[in-house]
Amino acid sequence: MTNPVRPTGSPPEWWPRFSSPLRSTALTARLGLVLGVCFGVCFLTGLLSHYQYQPWGWLPTPAAPVWGYRITQGVHVTTGVASLPLLLVKLWSVYPNLFRRPVVRSITHGIERASIAVLVATALIQLTTGFLNQLNWYPWPWSFVSVHRFLGYVVIGSILLHIAVKLPDIKYGLKTKLVDGDVLTEKPWSENPAAYSNNEDTHQPPPETDAISRRGLLTATGAGIGLVVVTSVGATLTPLEPIGLLAVRQPSTGPQGVPVNKTADAARVRELAMDPAWRLDVEGPRPYRLELADLDELATEEADFPLTCVEGWSVGANWRGIGLLEVVRRAGGNADSSVELVSLQPRGSFIRSTVDGPQVSRALLATHLNGERLNVDHGYPLRLIAPNRAGVLNTKWLKSVRIR
Amino acid sequence: MNRPSRIRVVIGTAGVLLVAFGAFRLLTEVPVRSLLGLALWLGAALVVHDALLSPGILGVGALLRRVPARGRSYVQGALVAAGLVTVVAIPLIYRQDSQPRAESILGQDFVTNLAVLFAVIVAVGILAYLRRVTRERSTAGPAGVPDGRPTEDGAGRPT
Repeated sequence: MTNPVRPTGSPPEWWPRFSSPLRSTALTARLGLVLGVCFGVCFLTGLLSHYQYQPWGWLPTPAAPVWGYRITQGVHVTTGVASLPLLLVKLWSVYPNLFRRPVVRSITHGIERASIAVLVATALIQLTTGFLNQLNWYPWPWSFVSVHRFLGYVVIGSILLHIAVKLPDIKYGLKTKLVDGDVLTEKPWSENPAAYSNNEDTHQPPPETDAISRRGLLTATGAGIGLVVVTSVGATLTPLEPIGLLAVRQPSTGPQGVPVNKTADAARVRELAMDPAWRLDVEGPRPYRLELADLDELATEEADFPLTCVEGWSVGANWRGIGLLEVVRRAGGNADSSVELVSLQPRGSFIRSTVDGPQVSRALLATHLNGERLNVDHGYPLRLIAPNRAGVLNTKWLKSVRIR
Repeated sequence: MNRPSRIRVVIGTAGVLLVAFGAFRLLTEVPVRSLLGLALWLGAALVVHDALLSPGILGVGALLRRVPARGRSYVQGALVAAGLVTVVAIPLIYRQDSQPRAESILGQDFVTNLAVLFAVIVAVGILAYLRRVTRERSTAGPAGVPDGRPTEDGAGRPT
């Protein structure tokens, strides 16, 4: 806006022209503010999720609050899902900018436009792939986790750069009433008298039309996204499960009221797990073995720990089992030991996990779930369950415990 | 050109550094074949959004100008809400019943569920429209201002 106006010549006949007074910097700034907050929260909770999977050695995952990861991952997935429709409305509101002329005015302008392309493309892909990951759907030719993580930095960085570039417009948009805001078209303000409130002096509001108002559009957008959120968040916010029309998961329909991510059959572990000769090898300074018959007598501890999946579903559950610390002490370890738990599962990304730090004293080797002997899909005969811990790191179908 | 303010320089620099960090990790830790696939998907996202989806939305918007003026804004509002819900519902419909039952995932009939959501949106839209009609009747009196548009003080504005 502070750039001098350069004669640009008339665009060709076929060049798109926009006249709807619905689009305005005042509208875009409001959409952008909410979207920016969602992306920021989604990014930070995403970092926390990464930390849950690969905690730093000097800062093992805390055991409290028990529901910590349940909240942060629920927020991560919910803000991500809400951002997808919101991003589409935000992009609609600035679509005319794509047709600004000249297409590239200077090197700086070219870089700015390229950075917008990076922002739009990475944000669309990040949100879409994140959503499809919830559906166990990976139609793309890369591994989801690392690309999702690194692309997150590109998206959030592009947003910050975008905010820096657009800060004067954002300030104008947020301080201007919706009805009074400029009309955003393919022509820059400086060349477009029909943009109405295009300078500090005139403040002439755009004409009313019979079309939906800007406030009406925000209301409809909020209603659509609100419907998406309340009908999908039931996968983690249990009281809303009954209205979960768009919920990917319905936790209560899982065996024993808890969903399963990998069944015993999918893990090719059913026969091994159901073997009556099953036993648990505890390896440490004083190694020993537990057999099936030993479990019932030892499994006396109870705890309410939620099961939280990285894909955003979670559910509270009651567990009974043997305290991990008890098992560790009997083998000659203590609360400071690092404990590796190994599954019977022959192969897969999560056939073992390590418990250390505060979780050692709180974790259970569970035999019962919600008052019943563990279903084989939930890890019969014995599984790990720890507070504030990502679902897949609660190793199922345990074969051995190694104390280091 | 004015010098950008200090806050803009700080935010912008932080942004560039984060982009550079993410790009560096991508380029050094993700196999080249995956990166080529990612580049293709990023480009495709721009094309699908800018060249297919957005012109399609503009086309729908143009068609809506044929809707009678008094109800147009309600039709637009309902379509916006329904469209946003549909964006999320389409992948669910495509993937429903694709996973083992024991996993309790995607077991719902999402076509029916989407129809229920549409019905809710249409019902709210009709209620809002009827409220406008009755309010206009009561404020305009027997003479009536058919296409009156309630202004902030509640009076109809003749067109």
